[in-house]
Amino acid sequence: MKIALISTFIPFIYGGARNIVEWLQAMLEKEGHQVERIYLPQIDAPDLLFQQMTAFRWIDLSSADRVICFRPQAHLIQHPHKILWFIHHIRSFYDLWDNDLYRGCPDDEKHRGLRAALHDADTAALREAKRIFTNSRVVSDRLKHFNGVDSEVLYPPVFDSERFYTRQYNDEIVCICRLEHHKRQHLLVDAMEFTKTPVRLRLCGSSSSSHYPDELERRIAELGVCDRVTLDYRWITEEEKADYFADCLATAYLPEDEDSYGYPSIEASHSAKAIITTTDSGGVLELVQDGVNGFVTEPSAERLAEVMDKLYVDRELAKQMGRNALERLDEINISWSHVLRRLLA
Amino acid sequence: MKVLIVNNMAPFVWGGAEELAVNLQKNLIIAGHDSEVLRIPFQWEPASRISSQMLMVRALELWNVDKVIALKFPAFYIRHPDKTLWLLHQYRQAYDLYDAGQTNLPPGQEGDDIRTLITNADNEAFAESKRIFTNSEVTRRRLKKYNGFDATVLLPPINDPELFTGGQFGDYIFAGGRINGMKRQHLLLEALARTSSNVRLIIAGPPDSPADGDQLREAVERLGLGDRVKLDLRFLPRETYAEYLTNAAAVAYLPFDEDSLGYVAMEAATTGKALITTSDSGGILGLVKQGETGWVAEPAAASLANAMNAAFADAALTRSYGRSARDLWSSFEITWPKTVESLLQ
Repeated sequence: MKIALISTFIPFIYGGARNIVEWLQAMLEKEGHQVERIYLPQIDAPDLLFQQMTAFRWIDLSSADRVICFRPQAHLIQHPHKILWFIHHIRSFYDLWDNDLYRGCPDDEKHRGLRAALHDADTAALREAKRIFTNSRVVSDRLKHFNGVDSEVLYPPVFDSERFYTRQYNDEIVCICRLEHHKRQHLLVDAMEFTKTPVRLRLCGSSSSSHYPDELERRIAELGVCDRVTLDYRWITEEEKADYFADCLATAYLPEDEDSYGYPSIEASHSAKAIITTTDSGGVLELVQDGVNGFVTEPSAERLAEVMDKLYVDRELAKQMGRNALERLDEINISWSHVLRRLLA
Repeated sequence: MKVLIVNNMAPFVWGGAEELAVNLQKNLIIAGHDSEVLRIPFQWEPASRISSQMLMVRALELWNVDKVIALKFPAFYIRHPDKTLWLLHQYRQAYDLYDAGQTNLPPGQEGDDIRTLITNADNEAFAESKRIFTNSEVTRRRLKKYNGFDATVLLPPINDPELFTGGQFGDYIFAGGRINGMKRQHLLLEALARTSSNVRLIIAGPPDSPADGDQLREAVERLGLGDRVKLDLRFLPRETYAEYLTNAAAVAYLPFDEDSLGYVAMEAATTGKALITTSDSGGILGLVKQGETGWVAEPAAASLANAMNAAFADAALTRSYGRSARDLWSSFEITWPKTVESLLQ
């Protein structure tokens, strides 16, 4: 089949929104499909939104048998067989509208008008789609709430999951993701003050600026926990990541209210490791069930310390939860075979 | 510097322009820059939709880009304060092909309107560009004639010169590249039937359509050339193509009126092979000098047969033509580092 994958991008910025497209492309090509990947630029400035949306309406992809659309506003493209794998709205005009910090424009008559028109245009474009999939329950709920459309959750798997494996359950809780304030590595550092066992913590990742990593380093020194905390402020290779997950006791991933479960928690699950997260982490809670494949605690240092100690003391529990984490992937259908079956249905 | 290459794409079609864009990107990165390719879908049929697709490009917004290098119509309509064009071609059906009666634009007022629109929009895009380069003398002259803009010719370098060294002086003439009526491989067969029996020929490359391949096979049969011709009609791995080329006695390439030198000719000259072409082949005549670097025949079997015989009559002379072809090509100083430097001026 000739399949066009269409998403939007900001040139020279690479991240999760490109992974889902490029990994799917590789999987479709492996299955023998002819795939064309198209990234078009999109910026969210309110005054430029509609002009760009018009451009997307004019794109002619009639040579494709079907199109699969990802990042906004790619869903505006016209095609008789349009499939959406919808990963988010232009959030400042949707779920972030009531948040003065994130809205990014005044809540005035003009922008309320723009918002209403955007909602209408999005809803019309969404209704054109043959099928709508999302990457999480949260996003499906938003589509229902704001646009009144139903959708099916199709969890994005990680690429080449066979490279993740299990070697041992050592003394270390690892957290491998960008070092950013909203990923809240600082809560994990703070938790180390309250742990009663020799449990260790490893934080790995790059950052958009050195500000937050510096803050973490200071905090580690202040609390006097540097003998049990490793801060590895850099982009680690995929091989290193697989090794850390293979060896660790468990992983921790506690972003502040994220839409999706996050690739690190899936990668840890493939390595049969339990996941520590918090009650306000959003999409991660679709994956992690408290006491089954990990722990869901209050976002406080004391509570986090308790579960870290628990896993350190009871290795059998850590192993059992790890096995459950691996099984959980099948339970909620996180696999490329499921993704391809649904997208090509 | 963040350099965005902006090109068109016909979905699911990959050709010379796509290859050029990828190699430009690669060489910008080698020169220490960040580079990505933005590929904008464009379908020229039906002609009534050309204008909306022109507007589409104009409506796109770029951010996080220091410089744009645009290659084709309508990609060069993209708005950016630092835009350089490396013009591969304009919309020829509104210009020289229109004059030649080969246009897809509708007759009468509607076609005239589209043509006027294209000319005016082109002129605006050319005027706002910082610099304009073209890929050939023909493109440069056309731009001057129809739009009145001056440009500098910047011939595309070959992409893998390291493949075109060494080799033997073999016992065959090599004709490589795409197989179709405009490239006139069939004429070579007609000529071969009139040469002395020691002249051998290898034709290798992908036929544009099954009929193009059948035509050659049929001609070999009809002319009884089976023992003197090898047809290898497929998309060749680069190494296989280079092996044919580097071990040939001479190289024949006789497209009808092409704009550019042609990769086949540039690669042959890099290897140091004498060239055979015809007087109406266009761009390649910049490299084939009768009696210096090869033979320029009339586009007829008899004249072409004389050239092919000549290539086998005096091996020393043919070799010396090959050396002259390499010297002439080297004197053009067409390399990727120089090309990148010019484009970023």
